[in-house]
Amino acid sequence: MPGPARPDSLLRGAGGTGSPVARAFAFVGAAFLLLQMGPAAAQGKLLPTEEAFRFSARALDPRTVEATFLIADGYYLYRDKLRFAATTAGVAVGPVALPPGKAKEDQFFGKVETYRDRVVVRVPVDNTAGGETLTVRAESQGCADVGVCYPPNAQAVTLTMPKAGAPAGPVIDATPPKKRWFN
Amino acid sequence: MTNASPRAASRWLVYAVAGLAALALGVVAFRNLPAPDPAARDASPILAISLPDPDGREQSLSQWRGKLLVVNFWATWCAPCREEMPMFVQAQSAHGARGLQFVGIAVDDVPKVRRFAAEIGLNYPVLVGGYGAMELSKTLGNSVMALPFTVVIDRTGNVVLTQLGPVRAAQIEKLVADFL
Repeated sequence: MPGPARPDSLLRGAGGTGSPVARAFAFVGAAFLLLQMGPAAAQGKLLPTEEAFRFSARALDPRTVEATFLIADGYYLYRDKLRFAATTAGVAVGPVALPPGKAKEDQFFGKVETYRDRVVVRVPVDNTAGGETLTVRAESQGCADVGVCYPPNAQAVTLTMPKAGAPAGPVIDATPPKKRWFN
Repeated sequence: MTNASPRAASRWLVYAVAGLAALALGVVAFRNLPAPDPAARDASPILAISLPDPDGREQSLSQWRGKLLVVNFWATWCAPCREEMPMFVQAQSAHGARGLQFVGIAVDDVPKVRRFAAEIGLNYPVLVGGYGAMELSKTLGNSVMALPFTVVIDRTGNVVLTQLGPVRAAQIEKLVADFL
């Protein structure tokens, strides 16, 4: 029979010997594939806000935090809704120079700037000498192109500030990527 | 099973693999299972919702029982929400007398709600829930907690539509045709 291989021959191919055990394994594999394809093919699944807009930060030096938002494809953040604060007592965040976003004319909000893909912001902090831990809180608000918006969302990371002259600290994710079993 | 033949051993292996497969499939299926279909749900928990209007008076959704009730979660900071609401205003004018009733639930604060309501000439009630309303919408099926989110309840108290994202005018027309 010409055309695509028949399923049983595929199974035998995958199993190698065609023994019941191999077939059972091949069946499991095929079933996994089918089940995994299902939700991916059925689109329209939206990400929860902390997965659409992944916040992470690292301490560059005793006085500077580098904050990053990784923005999922098809999602964007509003530049004027980005806020940074230190929630550690006695520490304040200095004026933040936000990078320019992509300007767009919004029918409701006028001229707005948005970030896509990734935005990296240097956040100066006062009253840190190095060695202490600091919790940085970022507030953001964004939308998905499909026509939904997420409420303002706060995410925080706790960093250990490096001492003067020490190398930058590691990148800390506000929401560590979820472990998934099969993908 | 002291002197099991290779054939019997192989059979046991098949059973073991099949058992593992069943377990694994169960796990995968469970993880990929969509939330229980809200379209088949009784709307009693939604109709039991009570929130303040912009004047601070508690309003229960149950007062609109018997209408074709469109409950729309929105906010002034949500552009797609603002975009769809003038169409709701039109539909309320066109079909309100026949029993179509829109109710907005704002995830917002009162002054902003008032300003926007005046701006678009809102002709249906709005309740103001703040962020708590977002959590409330989650219990109604808005698992990612985004806006706009709309739940439609027919006159007999069944949820007939649950939608995250803008509702189109054609959908409203179809709901009116089907349920009024």
